[in-house]
Amino acid sequence: MRDVAILGVGMIPFGRRDEESLMDMLAHASLNALDDAGMGDKSVDAVYVANMGAGIIQHQTAIASSLVDRLSLLPAAADAVENGPASGGSAVKNGVLAVASGYYDYVLVVGGEKMREVTGWRATDFVSTMTHPEAEYPYGVTLPGMAGMFTRLYMEKYNVTREQIVAVAIKNQEIGILNPYAHIEMVITKEGIMDSPHSVVNNPVGADPLHLYDMCPVSDGAAAVVLCSLEMAQKLGKPKKPLVRVAGFGQATDTHTLQERDDPTDLKAVTLAAKQALDTAKLKPGDIDVAELHDAFTILEIAESEHVGFFKKGEGGKAALAGKTKLGGEMPINVSGGLKARGHPVGATGVAQVVDITWQLRHELDKNRQVKNAKNGMTVNFGGFGNNVLSFVLQRVEQ
Amino acid sequence: MSEIEIVAFKCKKCGRVHYPYHDRCLDCKSRDFEEIAPKGDAKLLAYTQIFNLPWGFDERFLIIGVAEFENNVKAMGQIKADTIDQLKTGMKLKAGWEPIRVVAGEKVYGLKYEL
Repeated sequence: MRDVAILGVGMIPFGRRDEESLMDMLAHASLNALDDAGMGDKSVDAVYVANMGAGIIQHQTAIASSLVDRLSLLPAAADAVENGPASGGSAVKNGVLAVASGYYDYVLVVGGEKMREVTGWRATDFVSTMTHPEAEYPYGVTLPGMAGMFTRLYMEKYNVTREQIVAVAIKNQEIGILNPYAHIEMVITKEGIMDSPHSVVNNPVGADPLHLYDMCPVSDGAAAVVLCSLEMAQKLGKPKKPLVRVAGFGQATDTHTLQERDDPTDLKAVTLAAKQALDTAKLKPGDIDVAELHDAFTILEIAESEHVGFFKKGEGGKAALAGKTKLGGEMPINVSGGLKARGHPVGATGVAQVVDITWQLRHELDKNRQVKNAKNGMTVNFGGFGNNVLSFVLQRVEQ
Repeated sequence: MSEIEIVAFKCKKCGRVHYPYHDRCLDCKSRDFEEIAPKGDAKLLAYTQIFNLPWGFDERFLIIGVAEFENNVKAMGQIKADTIDQLKTGMKLKAGWEPIRVVAGEKVYGLKYEL
């Protein structure tokens, strides 16, 4: 297997992008990544397109074929990858495997979603289609609803407090405002969303015990990466930007329904995927300098930080409250603002996490968002309600 | 109240109860199952009150939970309660089979738990 390098990355700002179609967004993010990789007018051997909802929301299928045509990347191999909110991670994994195997030399991976062109009512239903079609979906359960049930159980089992959960929301929106690609550009305070009498209005319950600011927004957006073998990247001459290699990845699955897990608070697929990624990279959780965790709901940042091994069970919430997961803390998490502030266009998220960690490892962010001397970074992309999870460990290649 | 129409599946080899259906047992991989119906009262395992509902629901909110019947069948259902404050993890619920939503003018039946 060949070592795989991230030759280029690109993103477009997440948010509400009424003026662009899904294909516009995928194309623009792809061109940004191709330009960053210095590909000029060169082509790639294969393209993987991560997307969850084009067939439902845009009434458009076979989007990978459409994208390679639009980008004039013909006759590159092209596949769409649909794996719920883990579509992005799955597409990156497919690209990494394709290059690592030696079958393809240059691969473009792009993920995108356009969710804001339908009403919240429709978008909520679209996301709910990943629940079990017989045992869950007919009842009206939503992903926030699943997260609400999980949050109550997690709070009861590990004594997680509301103050700890709110600390995650405040942290991610505070730093998200510094990210030009982030959807949410608003600083929130504990007083405004928890302590004051106005918090009932400012931060209503969405899926008890989760409140509005415990949830990520519904976003439009796209992100892309260009992959090639590390050896080929090094032969291209001295790179303009430091190279980043995919040091390891992992993927694991769990039961479709929460009810069939022996302990529904145990996110087994997160633990297994992260362990596989770290083991492949020959690293320990303590070697990671910066992480992008899938905080679609604030409780997930806390739970994932424990399940990947950054903190012991029951300590993640305390760490967040103590500022240990902030920029400058002992384990900076979601310095992009995470899904909470950057946004969550579902097909784009897993790719966007890899893009953000690459920027961190290339040390090219403004100092108010850059983790000093970051060498190893990690992502967790969480599909369904933890039934399909991918994790990547990326590493800066010193020249 | 109609009879509960859920069919659960008990592995004939190791006894694990499954709902919904699996082709192979989650524990021992056996393909041999006995069909069973949920029996008795149910114990509330997890619950939430959802205010942002998906397309297809006109209610202001839904209270939804997962409960475990006396014969180990675990199933999600809607909960008939005025407020979520009436609920507590571990409490006993009665289960019924009632309309849970309307699709194209037709009532869809499912599990409804009540206090």
